[in-house]
Amino acid sequence: MTADHDDTPGSAAPTSSLLVHAVDEVVLGEETAFDAGRLTVGVDQAREALADPALAAVRVHAANPGDRVRIVKLLDVVEPRTKGPGKPGMFPGFLGAPQPDRPRETHVLRGAAVMAAGALPRNQEGVVDMTGPAAEVSPYAATRNVVVEFDRADEASWEDVDAALRRGLLRLAVHLADAAADAEPDEVEEWPAPAAPGTSDLPRVGVVTNLQTQGSFKDVYVYGRSFSTSLPTLIDPFEVDDGAIVGGQFGHPGLRNSTYMHCNHPVVADLRRRHGQNLSFAGLVICPEPVDQHAKEHISAHAARLCAAAGFDAAVVTKEGGGNADADASLKMDRLEDAGIAAVGVFAEFAGPDGTGPPLVFPPRRATAMVSTGNYDLRLDLPAMERAFGGDRVDIADADATDEMTLPVATVHGALNLLGWGRLTSTQETEEAA
Amino acid sequence: MRVVHYLNQFQAGIGGEDAADAPPQLHDEPVGTGRLLARLLGDEHEVVASISCGDDHAASNPGLMKEVLEMARETGAEMIVAGPAFGSGRYGLACGRLLAAAATEDVPAVAGMHPDNPGVDEAGAGVVVAAGASTRDMKESMGRLAAAAVKLAAGETVGPDDGRVGRIPRLTVTADKRGATRAVDLALARLAGDRDATEIPGALFDVVTPAGAVEDLSAVTVALVTEGALVPAGNPDHLEAARATRWLPYPLDGVAALPAGDYESVHGGFSPSAANDDPHRILPLDVARELEEEGRIGGLHHEYLVTAGNGTAVPNARRFGVEWAARLHGSGVQAAILTAT
Repeated sequence: MTADHDDTPGSAAPTSSLLVHAVDEVVLGEETAFDAGRLTVGVDQAREALADPALAAVRVHAANPGDRVRIVKLLDVVEPRTKGPGKPGMFPGFLGAPQPDRPRETHVLRGAAVMAAGALPRNQEGVVDMTGPAAEVSPYAATRNVVVEFDRADEASWEDVDAALRRGLLRLAVHLADAAADAEPDEVEEWPAPAAPGTSDLPRVGVVTNLQTQGSFKDVYVYGRSFSTSLPTLIDPFEVDDGAIVGGQFGHPGLRNSTYMHCNHPVVADLRRRHGQNLSFAGLVICPEPVDQHAKEHISAHAARLCAAAGFDAAVVTKEGGGNADADASLKMDRLEDAGIAAVGVFAEFAGPDGTGPPLVFPPRRATAMVSTGNYDLRLDLPAMERAFGGDRVDIADADATDEMTLPVATVHGALNLLGWGRLTSTQETEEAA
Repeated sequence: MRVVHYLNQFQAGIGGEDAADAPPQLHDEPVGTGRLLARLLGDEHEVVASISCGDDHAASNPGLMKEVLEMARETGAEMIVAGPAFGSGRYGLACGRLLAAAATEDVPAVAGMHPDNPGVDEAGAGVVVAAGASTRDMKESMGRLAAAAVKLAAGETVGPDDGRVGRIPRLTVTADKRGATRAVDLALARLAGDRDATEIPGALFDVVTPAGAVEDLSAVTVALVTEGALVPAGNPDHLEAARATRWLPYPLDGVAALPAGDYESVHGGFSPSAANDDPHRILPLDVARELEEEGRIGGLHHEYLVTAGNGTAVPNARRFGVEWAARLHGSGVQAAILTAT
């Protein structure tokens, strides 16, 4: 879909132009190439993109929707994007300067993803099944995946392995998208910057996105640096399209926001689509999620002041991670409501296997509007698979990685996505579904 | 449907408190108040048996209701109706536990009891409809119970309009729109003046009244307990790092300190490196031993209790609390220090 906002009062010229190349299939080959929806991954070129002293070896696999493949011990997921071969600007701060001169056009290999999978400390276990009931609820079962397995170099620290994988995945994502730079895009999406206050009579709706910044292996990076010590800030969604936010948070698999998901932020996408129709897109505020209660309160108060200064009438508040992150979202919702800004929180629920427990650890006290992305403890029966990537075992199920197993949905990557990707929700047994 | 009715010794006409120890007894036709139930259920459903049990016997044997369910199934029961238990706690516990047992076997079941009956909590996700406080309300209460049973038999949902009380389970379903779109819709609804719209209704929490202060710590045994997932190195008993379903006791008898390398935190919700460098930062045994030495506490309990508090379902957390309290209380512990992470 091409968005055309030229007639919209107060809308500016497009700041973001996504040249979308649809990918139908990923295969391995000798030379990276893109032809009519088929992405061939040059295996040696992929290894070169990931080359790092901290990695003794990497192995590259392809996994397409419908394959009888289970990906375990998944780390980050990245969508292939590029500004064009040799041009800087993707993943600013990681691959080059944080603010280089760069074209506003970005090539996107939509339908493809690159991902690392393997043992790393604090990586809570989970699965992506490319077929079956778990595939129906995971965003990463709908993508054609390039899966990178790795071996740690003997002398390398796990922190170095983590950093090497992060840089390597980003380089691989750009390398693959470069192959499509000369191809005619299947569609071009033009998106305007959020509107300045006072430029429209439509209600100004924005989004506040918490990034779970809680130390090594549980951190989120903005322009190449941990966001943990930052105050909330407004960020142009154009920067996010270009990968300014990179995920490195390996907590609950169902509740992580990968780099892929940040680049395709579902609430931003919705606000952009509706901008000029029944709302005016007011902006995106990103916030750290600290561990300390006083810091949570401080960050929340600051975020609400920022939204007020930016003229938000309403804000969708998103979180990342499990229980303590409920507080970050709830405190912000209350602060926003206190400032006269309507707040809507996006939460997954902890209602227990029978669905009778209280759904949140820390609910808002004054705000009331919440969207549910489903209950952690919903059990899924997963069939046996033919192959597994990322490891031989699923310890939480005490099973071989290809066995049939029963797992809570919270362990399916992206299934309860807190940026609002999915359609799962929870409802009282006695009510109709939303 | 073939219905089996569960009732206590009073309602079965077996006796009063003198018969409170009566074991479960199968009657191959409706007895006592079961005859009223049979009439109210109409011709489509048949009460094929009644099972009675004395209140004391039922309440003091938590596993008993599995046996009662088995007795019912042997009669070919397709549905269980229990009570009404009114305000009777012992009878209510039995009915609630019978519902919970039936839920694990996917046998439809419904009970009637007063909303304040502790049995409502025991029923978990089971269907409980309101009954009056005492047998004076029998007619109306049995009427509501029978009506709920008829609905349940027809595969319909029993809701608040039918007098449903207790915790109504939340089910995970697939919505028409994705979460982001629903969130923006909700924001626009709020701006249009709708302050009630939400997908998660006001979350209700237990209010816990703290125990009274300990008057003289030097006279009591103190326990250390933690949700910081500190376990012997190698995690020999496989404590979960997240969504824990259990807890573990580990001995402290003769343990003077927790050296680095002998213990580790397997908690999945924070970086355990500081805890692993000095396990006392999760479980303050070092300071506790000093206090014991100085006589400022009467003694340190001989074991610590541990789980992982990371994405734990509240019903499980509540159960851990009850089990810990029972274990510590049974060992004569009068104060506990719970370190949280």
